[in-house]
Amino acid sequence: MKRPTGQKPKGAAPRSTRPRAAPQQPQRPAQRGARAQQPRRSSRLRAWARHHRAMALDSLQRLIRYPLGNLLTMLAIAIALVLPAALWLTLDSARLLDAELDDSATLTAYLEISVELPEAKRIEQAVSADEAVQGTRLVSAEQGMADFQQSLGVEDALSGLDDNPLPHSIVVRPGSVDPELMQALAERLDDIAGVDEVRLDLAWVERLRHLAALGTRVALALGVLFGLGVLLVVGNTIRLSVESRRREIEVVMLIGATHAFVRRPFLYSGAWYGFGGGVLALGLLSLGNHWLSLPVAALAESYGASFSLPRLDFTGSTILLSCSTLLGWLGAWLAVSRHLASIRPR
Amino acid sequence: MIAFEHVGKRYGGRFEALSHLNFRVARGEMVFLTGHSGAGKSSLLRLIMRLEKPSRGRVVVAGHDIAQLHASQVPFYRRQIGVVFQDHQLLFDRSVFHNVSLPLDIQGIEPRESARRVRAALDKVGLLHREKALPIELSGGEQQRVGIARAVVNKPALLLADEPTGNLDPQLSADIMGLFEDFNRIGTTVMIASHDLALIAGLRHRIIRLRDGRLVADEGAA
Repeated sequence: MKRPTGQKPKGAAPRSTRPRAAPQQPQRPAQRGARAQQPRRSSRLRAWARHHRAMALDSLQRLIRYPLGNLLTMLAIAIALVLPAALWLTLDSARLLDAELDDSATLTAYLEISVELPEAKRIEQAVSADEAVQGTRLVSAEQGMADFQQSLGVEDALSGLDDNPLPHSIVVRPGSVDPELMQALAERLDDIAGVDEVRLDLAWVERLRHLAALGTRVALALGVLFGLGVLLVVGNTIRLSVESRRREIEVVMLIGATHAFVRRPFLYSGAWYGFGGGVLALGLLSLGNHWLSLPVAALAESYGASFSLPRLDFTGSTILLSCSTLLGWLGAWLAVSRHLASIRPR
Repeated sequence: MIAFEHVGKRYGGRFEALSHLNFRVARGEMVFLTGHSGAGKSSLLRLIMRLEKPSRGRVVVAGHDIAQLHASQVPFYRRQIGVVFQDHQLLFDRSVFHNVSLPLDIQGIEPRESARRVRAALDKVGLLHREKALPIELSGGEQQRVGIARAVVNKPALLLADEPTGNLDPQLSADIMGLFEDFNRIGTTVMIASHDLALIAGLRHRIIRLRDGRLVADEGAA
């Protein structure tokens, strides 16, 4: 409060122009006109930003002052974050696999054994005329035999056979992998003259899908649970630090600090805990990735596939860090708000 | 500046700390509040600081019934009152300078302006040379003067003090009272609770006496 330059005599009439202790106008008298308001508001904004900067720095310095204890808190947060994040990554790679499976979801129409190759080609054209069909590939009986032998891994085991027992077949890639549509397509193809049997085996694709959906839900549930865990860890840590600074809080409240002012340093501490926990979680994830990548690659190679563990990309890392920072902030907010109500200046 | 109108304060339903208090303090006055411990001096100050609300009657400060203040307005109300506590209420983890600048930090005063005002306040209480010291390194009298500097750094219109000379020897106590008189001379309304009758009787200011929560004497009113 600025003191009026000329001291008014006691009891001088209307003081309303500058009520020194007028509680209804907490932010100093407003009667000086709108022009004077502008710079004052901007200076208040500057003061607010200054306090935010100061508290962000101050809370960071407090963290650094007790590195071991605070590192352990962050590690607890990191571990809580790693589990759902790792599960999420695994599911993500399963989804990639799923996309490849979509490509391999095909129907095979086996033609009657009596059908000759030109006839087979005609049938193939009839099949591709169906609008639910995206592409077709004719596999001749000879080609089929060759593939079969190759997949058995024994070159001449079947060469003793006089006749090729395999029919010509048509591999059909459907436009949609929807099970019902594929079933209907299979029935239509079966009706075409010369088609003996249509095979579609979707059950395992379906199973994998259900498994992935289950996994997503488990990851989500774990994420929520461990997120709550982070809230509790941060909340408890902040509760202790509020308790240890109780006197300071009482004093600043005695001399006119608002709740927001009191809360601010703790919110920053919480956010730092969350951020530190997030960084540690990223480190743990990449460490785990490194540790598992060799055996996983070896395993994939034994199946003749190339598969590498997924990594968190830049977006993923940013999301993880933002979530953990936000969780830390929220945990601190809950803890401080609960305690502010109980702290009353003596 | 301050008006108590039929004010009563009960604690826990039975114990009546204050009853039927009626008095006024004009702007720029200096008033002593005295009585035995337990007479209600501290309760009265707590009412003015809006740490508590009266059970009955109204406490009016600067024309406003402060019981009507919304909780969110209370901090802004308190910023306009300087308070000196018997136990100083200094923070021991920071320097004298930062203790005194606390009210200005809370209000978001720009740092250079804040430093200027802090030094002015410390100069006034004669502790400018100790600004970097920690409160723990100071004597009791010096700590009390830091508390006074913090109370006045904000140039409040109203200065309250609860037993500010409680633990000090007579010479130091007289110095402290002299400081309060200085602030009063430049227009600050000052209200000091003290049981040190010998000290305050010699100062020739208005004295309000409390006994068992009642006003028993109001001497030397201006």
